Amino acid sequence: MVKLGEMLANLEMDELMEAVQKELDQGTDPVEILKDCEAGMVAVGEKFSAGDYFVSDLMMSGEMFKEVGEMLEPHLAGKTGESLGKVVLGTVEGDIHDIGKDLVYIMLKSGGFDVIDVGVDAKPEAFVDALKESGAPVLALSCLLTTCYDSILNTVKAVEAAGLRDQVKIIIGGGPTDESVVTYTGADAVGDDAQSAVRICKEMM
Amino acid sequence: MANQLYQDRAQKIKDTINFENKSVTTCYMGQAAPAAHMGVKMKDFAMNPVINVKTTLDYIKEIDAITSVDCLNMSVNGMRSDHGLPMAWLSKIKMPGRELPDDSLWQVEETGVLNQEDYDIIIEQGYDVVFNRVLPQLLDLNELQESVDYQQQNGQKNAQLFVDANLPAVNSGFASPPFEVLCGGRSMSKFFMDCYKIPDKIEKAIEVMLPGSVQGMLGSVNTNIGNGSWVGGWRGASALVSPKIWNRLVWPGMKALAQALIDNDHIATFHLDQNWDRDIERFLEMPAQKSIINTDGMTDLRKARKILGEHTAIMGDVPAPLLATGTTQEVKDYVNCLIDDIGPKGLFIAPGCDAPANSKFENMVAMFEAANNWK
Repeated sequence: MVKLGEMLANLEMDELMEAVQKELDQGTDPVEILKDCEAGMVAVGEKFSAGDYFVSDLMMSGEMFKEVGEMLEPHLAGKTGESLGKVVLGTVEGDIHDIGKDLVYIMLKSGGFDVIDVGVDAKPEAFVDALKESGAPVLALSCLLTTCYDSILNTVKAVEAAGLRDQVKIIIGGGPTDESVVTYTGADAVGDDAQSAVRICKEMM
Repeated sequence: MANQLYQDRAQKIKDTINFENKSVTTCYMGQAAPAAHMGVKMKDFAMNPVINVKTTLDYIKEIDAITSVDCLNMSVNGMRSDHGLPMAWLSKIKMPGRELPDDSLWQVEETGVLNQEDYDIIIEQGYDVVFNRVLPQLLDLNELQESVDYQQQNGQKNAQLFVDANLPAVNSGFASPPFEVLCGGRSMSKFFMDCYKIPDKIEKAIEVMLPGSVQGMLGSVNTNIGNGSWVGGWRGASALVSPKIWNRLVWPGMKALAQALIDNDHIATFHLDQNWDRDIERFLEMPAQKSIINTDGMTDLRKARKILGEHTAIMGDVPAPLLATGTTQEVKDYVNCLIDDIGPKGLFIAPGCDAPANSKFENMVAMFEAANNWK
């Protein structure tokens, strides 16, 4: 099989799509194709952490991964390999920003997680319902407004009130979040960017 | 006629840009910060220009009565965000009391009003054709006209209120480079993909848009209020885009806008969100002591000072989370440490980007007090 992961890591969009189609035509196992592309996404993440890639590169790789996923979907028939675990993700109440959240979604997904996305401006009960329904051990909260720190706080409290706090780790992220906001809200960790969110979620599993 | 204190403070702005200031210059920025402290509902503050101007002025005067506020980063005119910002980002603005709860902050909603074909239309027919088509999708044109009428009738009167309060502004103008306009109009994810897939087309569209951006920016500077203009750097931040995109599609537009300001004897204030460390030395390409980098706490100012020396003034960068949740001592420590490390010359101490709506009043005072008392 040609090195699909390398093409993805080098952001060679047209070459990758062509190569994936060729592999499918030749009867290559779609799960293997997916795994190779996941390895490419890991390489992208490493380049980002090393300061060689930037957010636009993450987005481009995410788009490529998504398109590969769409090509493979009819061939996968539910076979997607092993999941690292489930994460409930969303932007907190009062905040309608979605770009950071969506980027974390694609990086977690390509990193092997099952992600339950509850959307933007999500009320605490929406997060709690998703946690109960999925049994996810990690909750990821996105927040781009300092005025929504209390929404994080309220969500953490709602998780406590639902009796889930012992089973659920909570990570926060977004422009104005830092360790002081972790302390203020009672969350467990803060991710500086989409790639660190993946690393922290792995540690939390 | 402005009184002596106003003139002294206006001179201090010039001295700071020239690295001749004798003490650190304190600079207010907080478009949403006054409402809560002054007991005004965000809905009224954001939607009513009369309330906005009065509340903001009273808030700054309250700080200035405790410790000197030498200047404002941006002049205050009460223009509603949902009427001003759509021009800069081709995005809708959701407002408190309308789409959002009464005490919520206004928020930008990128709806992706541009499609890929619009690059061709801009290149072949000009930006105005696209702008005039999408503007009605972003705001109510009748309301916009009311806002414009209000500014024409009251702009000078409101400006005089700040002169009378001895509060000169560094900037009165505003420029959103074409990269930022297109990014908002397409929505960030789609636009960044376009930058990889069709960079030639975007580059051409930017070239077509740039003269209009320069003209609009120069027209927005009111030298009676503040002799500078922002040159915005939001989605074009070094941390967000690859060097290839930045060098080709971001920096040329920003540089051209700033150069136009300088050529016309105005101050170029690069208003930089996010982290610009990678490209900080590029600001050396501007003429010496004519521009300011205005950062938000994410750019490394120690590194910036080391590289830029006395070439470019710095405005910043007390982080928003610190103003919202920190203690006064933490704020003072931050300010003292920053001045210790990069020196008082050519330095405006200001909130990073913008003091948030939930800034503690005592933290705003602490920020300026620390700067004014620094020795």
